[in-house]
Amino acid sequence: MRSVYNDNAGPRMSWLQNPSLRPPHSLRRKEGDSLAALRRVVAKLETVAPAIGAQHLPLGVPEMQAHLPGPGLACGVLHEMAAADHGDRPAAFGFLFALTAAALRSRPGPAVLVATRRALLDFGRPCGHGLAQLGLDVGRLLIVETETDKDALWTIEDALRSQARPAVVAGAISGNLDLTVSRRLNLAAAAHTTPLVLLRTSIAAGTSAAATRWRIAAAPAARDRFGVFAGPRWRVALERCRNGRPGQWLIEWTHVAHRFRLVESVADRAPVERAGLRRAG
Amino acid sequence: MPEGCLRHDRDRPLALVAPGKGGARIVSLNRAARQGGLVEGELLSNARSKVLDLQSRAADPGADAAALRKLALWCLRYTPTAAPWDEQSGADGLFLDVTGCAHLFGGEARLLADLEGRLRAFGLYPRTAIAGTAGASWAMARHGATDCRIVASGEEGSALENLPLAALRLSQATQTLMRRLGFKRIGEIVDQPRAPFAARFEPEFLRRLDQALGHAPEPLVPVVPPPAYHARAMFLEPILSQEHVLEAARRLLRELADALERDAVGARVLRLLLFRVVSETRFQHDSGVQSLDLGLAAPSRDPEHIARLIALRLDRLGDRLETEFGFEAAAVHVLAAEPLSERQERLGMDEGSAPPEGLAQLIDRLQQRLGSGAVCQLHPHQSHIPERAERIVSPSPRFLRGEGQWGEGTAPRPLLMLPRPEAAEVVALIPEGPPRQFRWRGVLHQVAEAQGPERIAPEWWHRTAEETRDYYVVEDAAGRRFWLYRAGLYGRSAAPPQWFMHGVFG
Repeated sequence: MRSVYNDNAGPRMSWLQNPSLRPPHSLRRKEGDSLAALRRVVAKLETVAPAIGAQHLPLGVPEMQAHLPGPGLACGVLHEMAAADHGDRPAAFGFLFALTAAALRSRPGPAVLVATRRALLDFGRPCGHGLAQLGLDVGRLLIVETETDKDALWTIEDALRSQARPAVVAGAISGNLDLTVSRRLNLAAAAHTTPLVLLRTSIAAGTSAAATRWRIAAAPAARDRFGVFAGPRWRVALERCRNGRPGQWLIEWTHVAHRFRLVESVADRAPVERAGLRRAG
Repeated sequence: MPEGCLRHDRDRPLALVAPGKGGARIVSLNRAARQGGLVEGELLSNARSKVLDLQSRAADPGADAAALRKLALWCLRYTPTAAPWDEQSGADGLFLDVTGCAHLFGGEARLLADLEGRLRAFGLYPRTAIAGTAGASWAMARHGATDCRIVASGEEGSALENLPLAALRLSQATQTLMRRLGFKRIGEIVDQPRAPFAARFEPEFLRRLDQALGHAPEPLVPVVPPPAYHARAMFLEPILSQEHVLEAARRLLRELADALERDAVGARVLRLLLFRVVSETRFQHDSGVQSLDLGLAAPSRDPEHIARLIALRLDRLGDRLETEFGFEAAAVHVLAAEPLSERQERLGMDEGSAPPEGLAQLIDRLQQRLGSGAVCQLHPHQSHIPERAERIVSPSPRFLRGEGQWGEGTAPRPLLMLPRPEAAEVVALIPEGPPRQFRWRGVLHQVAEAQGPERIAPEWWHRTAEETRDYYVVEDAAGRRFWLYRAGLYGRSAAPPQWFMHGVFG
């Protein structure tokens, strides 16, 4: 095996494999620094990744945030989610609205929800009282219903680029996202670093340039001390994450504190056998 | 001109008849028939004996009125105030208020010439006149000499001097009486003392005289309500493409912006009128006016923003915008305006805050592109019935600030509510008990836990046939939660109560 630094013939092990050849301690620290500097340069070159120190949407679950590149859901990029199964679509909507509520809490401006008619066909329209019970500020919600996916994507892009500076743009489309569309949405979201979360109702995934991809499944709700349903719970799986690691969690939403709470981490255990819920990787 | 009439020979006498006393009576005649010695109101049978080759058609006043209305709409390209004559003035003419519109044509004489030329091209025989008052212009058009059709304001008295008394639009009885008294010309009664006339004749008489001379106002009833602010442009060559239409609209909007700024108002509802080049045969079918109405969420006078909305609307119309031979004139009317004060630039405005008109403009753009019903907001409503407990309203930037009384009631409400409750087959342990399993949309669900019931009775102040509902929040083994209700109470009616699915929880 040839070493990269040596043209001569003969096996010469690199300094990584041979401990005696390792550089002294002072030089090692400089290499650690240079590695961090290299990481920063690469991050700057990647046009779509937000700069270090950009805004993030705090989720409130440190275990989840450890898998993400920043302290929360990054703003200014596209986050994509889908339901694990057709019957889990209300749960996916619930997760979408919970993220919207968290964004409305921490950022100023209105929230724009764009949905195609087909996405709302199966289970109905959002109910204002239900949204209020989730902790969402319904007075700041603007709902746009479109006929086609094309209109919905145009609306999302217009809302992201407009001077209205919404706090969050949430979308529900019926088709799939491809590379071109997702790149366009990334660029549009980066214009004013608005968080953008998109729910696609098609189960199968295509290639997309989304920063994170989630899969949501329903879970039995939390009970309060009287046994009444308290907060909704979801099994969320982070399938793909740029500059991060995938993982699975069972989380609960507290509408009082507008944040998530980890109930148990599923990543350490064997994946739950559910129809349609596959472990990423 | 009645619709659908056959082309008739203009040199032959023609009479329009309507049923009257003693048979068919003549309602109107053409020039050849008048020259033959016929008068209006004569019996048709008598007239036929006088003029042998008389053609006759049934009079159709409804079609005449419709055609006159179309002509009035066509005349909107000259002025926004076009009013068909009322009953006493006759059913065959229009008033056009051309105050301030003559400069676009290079003067009143050119405007008259243009109008007459176009109407002749349609196959009509117009008589036109311009005067300072409606009454004077009617008199000059109907009875005046052909060469002096423009009366300068203030000279109505001298212009009307030699016209007969019929030019004052008086009733038949008054005219007969005046003839018997020996008054033939308007000039003879202008200088007379008014008291004897007022005592003997109806007040209508003096009012008409005052209106003709300009001493009393005459309100017109325009065919469409005239707007407060308007701007119009005529094109040398008809324009065909969308970009040209947009450019013309932009210029008109810039003109309007000055007028709106002077009064410190912004437009809320606008109408863009495009006047097509109309040929004679087409004219019978439509007046050639295409109008686009635009509504704005917040008053605005920004020409760029409104032009962008017009572009979106034209895109949406696409092929339905009939251009045919092009548009020869365009006009923008502001139908509703609201106060819009100057916005003061805040000193040291922070970076993150959005300008307040950004949201209104976003709403406008979305409404233009997707239709006005596509963008909405939810408002709470005082009602127990869940489907009436909130309303979908069109958005207003004022409301998007977090106001609203969404009561945090203890009763759980679903995240997504079905537009209409759907029937479900439910099996319960005891008849009034919670469900144990249910089948909805063909899928069987086993209930792990059911919470409730929440009883919602129909509102007794609405006399409806609704039934009392008992709502349950049920959760199945997979963790999905549903909102089911049982409609009706046991023992009230013969049929057992039905179960319905109303919503799902997230």
